[in-house]
Amino acid sequence: MLATFDVVTLSRLQFALTAIFHMLWPVLSTGLAIFLVVLEAIWLRTSNPLYYRQARFWAKLYVLNFGIGVASGLPMEFQFGTNWAPLSEFAGDFFGSVLGFEGAMAFMLEAGFLGIMLFGWQKVPPVIHFLSTVMVAFGANLSVFWILSANSWLQTPAGGTFSDGHFNVQNYFSAINNPFMVKSVIHMSLATVETSMLVVAAISAWSLMRQKAPEFFQFSFKLALVILLAVAPLQILAGHESGVQVAERQPTKLAAIEAIWEDEPAGTSPAWALVAVPDEATGSNRWKLSVPGALSWILESRPQLSKPVRGLNSWPADQRPHMVGLLFYAFRVMIAIGMAAAALSVLSLLLWWRGGLSAESFVRWPWFSWAWILSAPAGYLAIEAGWVVRCVGRQPWTVYGQLRTADAASVLPVGEVITSLSTFAVLYSALLMFALYFGARIIAKGPNITLEPPGGRGSGAAPAAATLPAPGA
Amino acid sequence: MDFLELFMPTVWFVILALFLLLYVILDGFDLGVGILSLTSPGEDQRTILMTSLGNVWDANETWLVLMGGALFGAFPLAYGTILKALYGPIYLMILGLILRAVAFEFRENAINKRPWNLMFGIGSVLAAASQGVCLGTVLAGIPTDAAGHFTGSAWIWVNPSSLLVALTLIQGYVLIGSTYLILKTSGELQRLHVRTARIATATTLMGALAITFTAPFASETLRQRLFDPAFLPFFVVLPLLGVALIVQLFRSLALQQEVWPFVYTVLLFILSFAGLGVMVFPAVIPPSVTIFQASASVTSQVFMLTFIGVLIPIMLFYNIYNYIAFRGKVSAE
Repeated sequence: MLATFDVVTLSRLQFALTAIFHMLWPVLSTGLAIFLVVLEAIWLRTSNPLYYRQARFWAKLYVLNFGIGVASGLPMEFQFGTNWAPLSEFAGDFFGSVLGFEGAMAFMLEAGFLGIMLFGWQKVPPVIHFLSTVMVAFGANLSVFWILSANSWLQTPAGGTFSDGHFNVQNYFSAINNPFMVKSVIHMSLATVETSMLVVAAISAWSLMRQKAPEFFQFSFKLALVILLAVAPLQILAGHESGVQVAERQPTKLAAIEAIWEDEPAGTSPAWALVAVPDEATGSNRWKLSVPGALSWILESRPQLSKPVRGLNSWPADQRPHMVGLLFYAFRVMIAIGMAAAALSVLSLLLWWRGGLSAESFVRWPWFSWAWILSAPAGYLAIEAGWVVRCVGRQPWTVYGQLRTADAASVLPVGEVITSLSTFAVLYSALLMFALYFGARIIAKGPNITLEPPGGRGSGAAPAAATLPAPGA
Repeated sequence: MDFLELFMPTVWFVILALFLLLYVILDGFDLGVGILSLTSPGEDQRTILMTSLGNVWDANETWLVLMGGALFGAFPLAYGTILKALYGPIYLMILGLILRAVAFEFRENAINKRPWNLMFGIGSVLAAASQGVCLGTVLAGIPTDAAGHFTGSAWIWVNPSSLLVALTLIQGYVLIGSTYLILKTSGELQRLHVRTARIATATTLMGALAITFTAPFASETLRQRLFDPAFLPFFVVLPLLGVALIVQLFRSLALQQEVWPFVYTVLLFILSFAGLGVMVFPAVIPPSVTIFQASASVTSQVFMLTFIGVLIPIMLFYNIYNYIAFRGKVSAE
């Protein structure tokens, strides 16, 4: 089947596969790192060994996750040279510099302090150790900044001029701070924290359902829940803001994610399709279920459109994205999961308020535990769906409006790309299976609840149990 | 502006060389230890070998990521052309590095460690060999058109001379890995690696000699450079220093010294690297595309330099701190 594709399609498939796989790992590397900083800070303040054990347990998952993230990040960087050499030449002045900054500022910082964070408990004083954890978290999150700045530049290129098939940077700061940058960085940072907390909550819920280390996991569940209560509603707002900027700057993407085929003039109140069956052959939706008058509320928070919305049919076929069904549903999956995570968090807060968040409640209400357990894979799915919206929706452009994907790909022998693509497919499937297997073993084994902190710090004197009080109590 | 147009590409050539050198030395001993782990007498010894890398392999590998990013930003044309020409070996290297990294994490959690031990060793061999093939191919020259785009075949990297460089680089990595282990281990394990270091010194030397004598036949440009009177001082001094270092290395191994074998090996790496630099400069895509042709705009290089240049000492500082925090012998748990 692969042999019937041209090299551009194969390189796109390979980039999609490696990017979708790679994206699974930085989620915890960035989001869980913040959680580890919080835990270690609480430990240093309270000297209660419970928090030390928390930090040590979650760090076990962190390191399993981290290695695969580093390894699967390599093909991302090198593909720009191997498969996308015309893009490298076109945009290298800016795009390459940013990847260089990411390496020097973010990646090295994270890697340089990771060793101390993981293995240095006995080797350095607690303050230095805490500083290392902070640096790992800071480095990982700087990475989000640079990668999202680079990707946003592909979406809304700024800061220079295009001539002779080359981007000439005139102002680096406006290129880095391109129109999409700020909101995209916020949206992605919130996404990594949110999904990481869903993972912590899911593992805690699973363990509580099985009555494993209930005190330990009750604490981690509640801490994750508190963070989620702040992050999940913010994320809905950040997501909305991202959608609005897409409507302003990338009308073809907006039309595709909402499956709008015909122009909607200003002053009207068009319906918004909740679900639809988009049909690219006829340029219309075969069937749809819509909410009357909702589109202008979603885009502009007002009863009528102040600006017209262009439909997909108003562009020539080679100037708008295809795979409309994929974009339409990826967008909806992301939103639905974001809403559900926020709703589940609020519901859990209410239960907590009513005193129903004891370790037994996870046994008594399996549906509640399962809702939390399933929220972890859902978080990942939402992130992947978001990237599909972002990057498939940008097509047919690699640099929006400036460089077509077809012109950005290297001319390579088809066999070469098929070989590397199929190797990645097989290897990544195996890696994912083993990572889940070993992750499950770490979870099944559970935390070491007798582990003593280094240097006898805080042992003995501290209270045996530490729990957050119920907010209503 | 003229001055900057000559100066900035040269600065970036030096910075890239520094990143590559740091990578080759630091991940070189990681990969060397990985290759040596295939011959570990038992599981406890292998655990010590891997623990000696636990806190550093990741940061060491990052110098490669940094080199890639900096090459991309400073010489975008070279990034595209070289990586496209080396599609095969680059993917094999990435494959090797992925296998190495995940074997590291999975072995930690596995009860049956054997498959992961094997994967760790094989990944290290594969990464080392692919890096050697890349180096050999670039040295022999990458055919380009006038615009600097690759014009050769997809199999340009399959030839005896790049195979020779690959084999030699593996020996070199085993050498630096052995001397690193002399530093980090004690007792029987240390004696074992004094022996492997001796053997690897001999095999690396043989490889280096073979490369030196066959290089003039492999590439017209290298031949001219080697017999260019202007470069004669380099090609007299460098080999003499090399001989002196090898003698010292053998001596320190015979004396059972702990630190010096590693130091001499690092110096040998630096020396070989300087030799390669002299052979290639100012080409960034040997034989014909120079750093000036492949250069990004001067403003871009200045901008990158202000950001990354400031960070180089900081990166070196905390990397060194990491080594200091974990100084001394490694023990199994």
